[in-house]
Amino acid sequence: MEVVTSPKCSTASDADAACSTASIWQDVLAQAVTGELVAVLNYTSLAGICQGPNEVADALEHAESERGHASAFTAEGKKLGIEVPNNVNAKYWKRLRSAFLRQIEGRDFVACLIIQEVMLESFAVASYKRVGQVAPGSLGTTFAAIAAEEEDHIDHAMSILRAARAVNVQRFDDKVHELHVEVMGILGQMFAREDGDGHCELCHAACVKQSLPVVGLASSELRGASLQHYLRTLDLLGLPGEMTLVWATQLPV
Amino acid sequence: MALDFALIAHQESWRAAADVLAVLRGPGRAPIPDADLKEIFPWFPPRAVCHIEHRSVLGHSVHGIYIDSFIPPDRLGFAHRSENIERVRAAAACAIKAGARIVSLGGFSSILIEGDSDLLPEKGETVFTTGNTLTVAFVVQGVKKACGLQGRDMSEATLLIVGATGDVGTGCARCLAPLVNRVVLNARNIDRLRSLAEELSAGGTAVDIATDLQQLSVQADIVICVASLESPSLLLGRLGPNAIICDAGYPKNLSPDDGLEGCTVFFGGLGQSLGGMSFEPDVHRVLHRHPFPNVGQGCVMEGMVLALERRFEPFSQGRGFITPERVQEIESIAARHGIHLAPLYNGQGPLEEVPSQREELAG
Repeated sequence: MEVVTSPKCSTASDADAACSTASIWQDVLAQAVTGELVAVLNYTSLAGICQGPNEVADALEHAESERGHASAFTAEGKKLGIEVPNNVNAKYWKRLRSAFLRQIEGRDFVACLIIQEVMLESFAVASYKRVGQVAPGSLGTTFAAIAAEEEDHIDHAMSILRAARAVNVQRFDDKVHELHVEVMGILGQMFAREDGDGHCELCHAACVKQSLPVVGLASSELRGASLQHYLRTLDLLGLPGEMTLVWATQLPV
Repeated sequence: MALDFALIAHQESWRAAADVLAVLRGPGRAPIPDADLKEIFPWFPPRAVCHIEHRSVLGHSVHGIYIDSFIPPDRLGFAHRSENIERVRAAAACAIKAGARIVSLGGFSSILIEGDSDLLPEKGETVFTTGNTLTVAFVVQGVKKACGLQGRDMSEATLLIVGATGDVGTGCARCLAPLVNRVVLNARNIDRLRSLAEELSAGGTAVDIATDLQQLSVQADIVICVASLESPSLLLGRLGPNAIICDAGYPKNLSPDDGLEGCTVFFGGLGQSLGGMSFEPDVHRVLHRHPFPNVGQGCVMEGMVLALERRFEPFSQGRGFITPERVQEIESIAARHGIHLAPLYNGQGPLEEVPSQREELAG
């Protein structure tokens, strides 16, 4: 994918600072938009296995909300003169989507929530917050606002998951571990220092991770902050910290 | 399940941090590469790393957890104080949530309640102790033992305490001043130095003070380094022949190799449990890198000692309250449960012949 070559850098606007780094923001936005679209697909699939009308409505509402986030990120790209690509079949995202679909096939509502709300959202919220702190102008504001929204809508899922854990703690924790190995394993590879598995099929050229310091980001921070957010979310669910620490140390690096 | 005790501490080197994570990661997995370790480690929220069972020689045992605050080993300095206090606070919250009845604060962690116990989160039934009184006990015992091994007459000796106005330094000064010929106190805060010197002088001890080691003209026969020295060379020219040096700082960084040839250097403040300790997962050798089994810092052992005695109280809190009487009290409690001064050693190895624990128990 090519970077759009005519970024709008005519005035001393908020976007000026971003223009010189357009290709980096393009890759960052591409990951964000793709993540949001995968979430749209996941929530839409989830609606298909929900048992009551309220749950169906909730899932569809979440799907719509994620669609709005994808649009907002795309619009931010346009402000910078960037066309933001997306590819839900890109290597890692496809594997994440497949992992989710396997739980849909098993009609395991709780497993789906664990993947989407605990694992994927942890990485989204923590990463967006970091980007929100350094991205210029409205780009930063949008990332920060979407991080806050994602964080807000997790409460309902958390109460469902806590109730599910209370029914059978061992079974719940075993399930989280099984999903952790698969889903967090993929995210661990995706956020690893080097793209050991080849091109991610989203970045427009070489892996963007090495270029992130140019815009004040670091892949190490994104990985660390995401892992921290994930562990804290598991704490809130009541999983023993010493157990989840062991899981975290066993992730691929 | 309520716990008898919790220990809060952190790793003093990246090697130690890597070893802890390697144990947790399990034997089938390659170690985390150093570069990744340094990126990931600082982001771990404080949490329990292992469960500990500590056995008394009286036959009963107590159960607790070790909580790592995951302070990165290269961020122990003053510049990171606020960030580190937040980590220790989170670790303290973890201990409270786990239901620990008493919590010992090891290494850097003790600053949280040495200075201002209001920094602690809402405590509920959990009590906190810095553990400094037992550290003082083991430092003082170590100095006496080293002098005995060298056939040194303490009453003729000049004692230099580096970091004298901290909680441990003050406690050591109070315990040892009556036993030596002269005491030299070194610390950065001149007002606190003067105050301590006045107190010790009133007891009949000859006392000198110095905020700068370079300005000292006296030669010390015994040195206790409570504060880690920036460089061992700061001691050169200030040591008498065959001086005895107790490295009670954290991390311990003094060695006879550092231009201190002829001196006896030992690591101070360490105790050994004859009843023994078990760790699950087994990080014992990683957390306690000593040449002898069941050895630990006095500060972390104090909580276990008090738990074995069923005395769940904040035995050591604040700064400057450690007295010889309190030191004697914690020493007696520790001894009752089989916790004694650890055999003396330094980075080069043991300084004394040591009977096996089985022989010691039989004796």
